[in-house]
Amino acid sequence: MKIEVNGETQTIEDNTTVTALLKSNGVNVPAMVSVQLNGSILQSVEFESREVKEGDALEFLYFVGGGAA
Amino acid sequence: MKGFSTKAIHGVPIKKDAHNALRIPVYDSVAFEYDTSRDIQLAFEGKKPAHTYSRISNPTVEDFEQRIRLLSDSQAVLAVSSGMAAISNLILTLAGSGANIITSKHIFGNTLSLFERTLKPWGLNIKYVPMTDPIKVEEAIDKETRLIFLENITNPQLEICDVKKISQVAKQHEIPLVADCTLTTPFIFKSKDFGVDVEILSSTKYISGGASTVGGLIIDNGTYDWGKLPKLTEMSKKVGPFALIATLRREVYRNMGACLSPHNAYMQTLGLETLSLRVEKSCSNSLRIAKFLENNKKVNHVNYPGLESSPFHDVARQQFGHYFGGILTFELKNQEACYQFMDALVTIRRATNINDNKTLVIHPYSTIFSEYSAEKREDLGVHENTIRLSVGIEDVEDLINDLKRGLETI
Repeated sequence: MKIEVNGETQTIEDNTTVTALLKSNGVNVPAMVSVQLNGSILQSVEFESREVKEGDALEFLYFVGGGAA
Repeated sequence: MKGFSTKAIHGVPIKKDAHNALRIPVYDSVAFEYDTSRDIQLAFEGKKPAHTYSRISNPTVEDFEQRIRLLSDSQAVLAVSSGMAAISNLILTLAGSGANIITSKHIFGNTLSLFERTLKPWGLNIKYVPMTDPIKVEEAIDKETRLIFLENITNPQLEICDVKKISQVAKQHEIPLVADCTLTTPFIFKSKDFGVDVEILSSTKYISGGASTVGGLIIDNGTYDWGKLPKLTEMSKKVGPFALIATLRREVYRNMGACLSPHNAYMQTLGLETLSLRVEKSCSNSLRIAKFLENNKKVNHVNYPGLESSPFHDVARQQFGHYFGGILTFELKNQEACYQFMDALVTIRRATNINDNKTLVIHPYSTIFSEYSAEKREDLGVHENTIRLSVGIEDVEDLINDLKRGLETI
């Protein structure tokens, strides 16, 4: 299925959780990332259980160690 | 991983080293390159887990931050260039002109100077109340209050407030509680468990592992809703619980330039690995020395939370268990006696630092607080006949023999 991560289309398998998606995007410590799912902030406790659905738009923002402005 | 030392030693594997180095090396590089323009754009936007410029983030510093995050069970950590940088960056982020902060006048001399001489002229109001009196703290709160700031052991007065009670007041009024916990570190005091929202540490002290390097830490415990604070409301809408760290990293800390050097981060990570061993030894030495001094007729008074004679002994035991810190103060006849005593010491060094491996002695009245008038110093609880001892990890018998030598001269 197709989803959007930070404005770019990605093809992923069904039943992919947010944690798995973060790892496939190079994040080893998901707790360090702010995630917006379809415009709403997703709490980090939901990363493990929340599965991404077809057409979802996610924004990953990195504030702990990585990102710069 | 459950144990403090295991976590301190192994940390969080963020990214495997390119050469399989077992220890994260010192990445002494200002800039980081990218294959494409799009990649560097994403990194600048915070949409790629990558570093761009070491004033903002660096792999060696990040490793240190993540170990602290693990040890403090916190939301996010920012390492900065000193403990004072941690306090100043945090207050500049949370408060501004016209706002006020509530604190005690019994705090570290340079912190007091930051509040009085640096921040006050910019329009920040400082309200001083005894942190040992939660009712007075509550009475001082008004609609412009942006934070409550305390030291969990004040330096050099060694006062200890009931942090949970202050936290209850802060929560009731939806104000963040900030605590400088330098004298305890997360090994002794789990600030999150006592309702502290942001913990400040001078990692120069216990953490650096022998006064090797200067550094500081801002630890967001993830317990405060930053959307309630005017300066962070907008950022909170964008990044939720990361509003504080995002505002620091992408604005205040980035713009102020108080970054921790990769070398210092490396040294402090090394220090972190032996922190528990050193704190245990420093605390047990301190208790032995405090008891020795308490039984010496030339010593007027000994102030150490580990002594049952301390008015803060019970609250210290509740909050710190059986570790009471590595700082004690004691009083001699007068300032001249203090100087005579200090000048006779051989093993114990005369220097202005705390929580070094070496035991250090200082006369706070004539040094750290010398910028204040005699009346002000007395008001701050800093007396002309008081000596501060920062107890290291040497063999305690050698330290006691040195103290005996000093006391014999007066």
